[in-house]
Amino acid sequence: MATYDVIFSALGLEAWCQSGSGKTSGPVTMADLLAKNSGNEGATPSLWELPFPSMDALHEACDSFPRSRALTRGLENGFLSIKDELSFFLDPLTQPLSWFLEAALWLFQTTPWWLMIPALLVVVMLVSRSVKLVIFVCACLLSLAFIDYYTYAAQTLAVIFVCAFLCALLGVPIGISMSRSDRLQRVMLPVLDMLQTLPPFVYLIPLIFLFAVTEPKLYGIAIILYAIVPVIRLTDLGIRLVDKDVIEAADAFGMTDRQKLIKVQIPLALPNIMAGVNQTIMMSLAMVVIASLVSAPGLGVLVLRGIRNLELGVGLVSGLGIVILAVILDRTTKRALARINTTYD
Amino acid sequence: MNRVISKSFKLAAVAVAMSAAVGVTASDARADCGEVSITEMNWASASVVTNVAKFIMEQGYGCKVKVVPSATVTAATSLAENGKPDIVTEMWYNSAPVYQKLEKEGKVQTIAKVLSDGGEENWWIPKYLADKHPELKTIDGVLANPKLVGSRFHNCPDGWGCRITNDNLKVAFNLKGKGIEVFNHGSGETLSGSLAAAYTAKKPWFGYYWAPTALLGKYEMVPVSLGPHKDAVHKCNAKKDCKTPGKSSYPSAPVVTGATAAFVKREPAVVAMLSKLSFTNKQMGGVLAWKESKNASSEEAAVHFLTTHKKVWGGWLNEKAKAKMSRLLKQTFSDLIK
Repeated sequence: MATYDVIFSALGLEAWCQSGSGKTSGPVTMADLLAKNSGNEGATPSLWELPFPSMDALHEACDSFPRSRALTRGLENGFLSIKDELSFFLDPLTQPLSWFLEAALWLFQTTPWWLMIPALLVVVMLVSRSVKLVIFVCACLLSLAFIDYYTYAAQTLAVIFVCAFLCALLGVPIGISMSRSDRLQRVMLPVLDMLQTLPPFVYLIPLIFLFAVTEPKLYGIAIILYAIVPVIRLTDLGIRLVDKDVIEAADAFGMTDRQKLIKVQIPLALPNIMAGVNQTIMMSLAMVVIASLVSAPGLGVLVLRGIRNLELGVGLVSGLGIVILAVILDRTTKRALARINTTYD
Repeated sequence: MNRVISKSFKLAAVAVAMSAAVGVTASDARADCGEVSITEMNWASASVVTNVAKFIMEQGYGCKVKVVPSATVTAATSLAENGKPDIVTEMWYNSAPVYQKLEKEGKVQTIAKVLSDGGEENWWIPKYLADKHPELKTIDGVLANPKLVGSRFHNCPDGWGCRITNDNLKVAFNLKGKGIEVFNHGSGETLSGSLAAAYTAKKPWFGYYWAPTALLGKYEMVPVSLGPHKDAVHKCNAKKDCKTPGKSSYPSAPVVTGATAAFVKREPAVVAMLSKLSFTNKQMGGVLAWKESKNASSEEAAVHFLTTHKKVWGGWLNEKAKAKMSRLLKQTFSDLIK
């Protein structure tokens, strides 16, 4: 006699309940086993011990009522039954990501170091216009290369560049459309919250059922879904924060919506957008280790090896390597941001 | 070899739990055995073993059992650093050099082979593939028909013991030259994920795994014979800088229960029971299959074992514990003593 028998008898569902009983003896927990043997089973529990009417508690009263584990199992089966259709759409849609990642990895790995490092320094110089920063970056890269971490660092950089670039490419338009439609913003904000908090493995393992596990896009998706959030948020915010008076002035000049967007709103929001890009790069670096769990090459692999074999030195050095890359990218983008700020202020 | 999935927070958790458990003084001839800490490794069969041991120690021997969630390397490290937990169970002996070192130093004693048949490490293909192409059951057959297995070998993640062995074996068998690409997984999750994905789609899969595991209980796999086991060759293959990688299959891996020397001295009765606590692969496979089919938790699987295999575990207990359990739990276990 379980606590909630009353409910089912009041609803007249006893027959339905009994139809499910006797089929199989379900799993028994240790607590159940002990309770059964202490002779307490069947005693009506006091109000103090009243169990919450959860699926499992209701199952005890009525065998036909599903246990909560039927819910998770059902979800799993549901996913497995539609996986072919999902894969039919998602696989070609995401294929370019694999191509980009493969191409970037190939480029970074086949270019010899004596071309790659100067090329990176030139990029830093163009973006930041700061000799001091170039010297700092040069020192960082050379020291990473000196301790034989160059290949790993280059792989990580390749992955980060592709993912951050795609994040900006997709995130800025999404942010702009969010800023122009309150309804879209209401829909997107919870999605963005979810992307930032949902543990990546929860959706990565199901993705293995959709794509081949060897595809680089698996970790590309993991990084992009997590890192795209700040650029969307800050683009949206930046455009919404543009002074109303400026918009009024633009209206007074008879600007069309498109002109307003391109000539007024985006330039004025640029500092915010760039701050978003900076955060996006930082967050993609934060995902490097998790990406390596789905077979991304780079420093993340070394971090994992370090912690798995308790080679603490390897773990620490490769962890610090990630930090160095983060500092380089952060300083460089911050410099670019500062330049934009002085231009438009 | 394999379950070296260690997360640093887990290590920290173990360390905290350990330090909390220190301070139990050696008990004299008390009836009850006091506080006992035991590992629960993060895979299904180990969890069943731990739950069974916990139940028997609590109900039969009056212990206060503290279960410490753990993994192979973290458990061994914790043993080395602070001599806790008292009992490590389902320790894959070959994959924990730290444990072997501690055993030599006398800090830990191996008291039982908890899986009496040993664990099986191997290269596997799905059963439906083996049924269709029986020639794939040997490595020569696979090498002759790489396309049939998808031209890909699923390798262990970096940092697992099997990764080193497989990396040497792939040279010995010339996988690359025969047209089989080796894919290095980033984690055990993607390795098992790829197996499950291939199996549900009935696609070819060829790679490393080990049994008994929940995964191989759920998906029927056939081992690919790698030829005879040669001890010296395998020992070299297991080393990172092996100069002459050779062809040798994996040996059966000892899977053991260990207890700290201090604990062996403190609780001889419990240790005597633990030294008999052992499962055949068939028994464990049966429990894991039941667990999978019922979608049950490890604890429920342990209860299933306890209620269906009374004869087996009844033999592990001493008379006193048997009497105690059949008295306390007379409804279920009254038939323990005849």
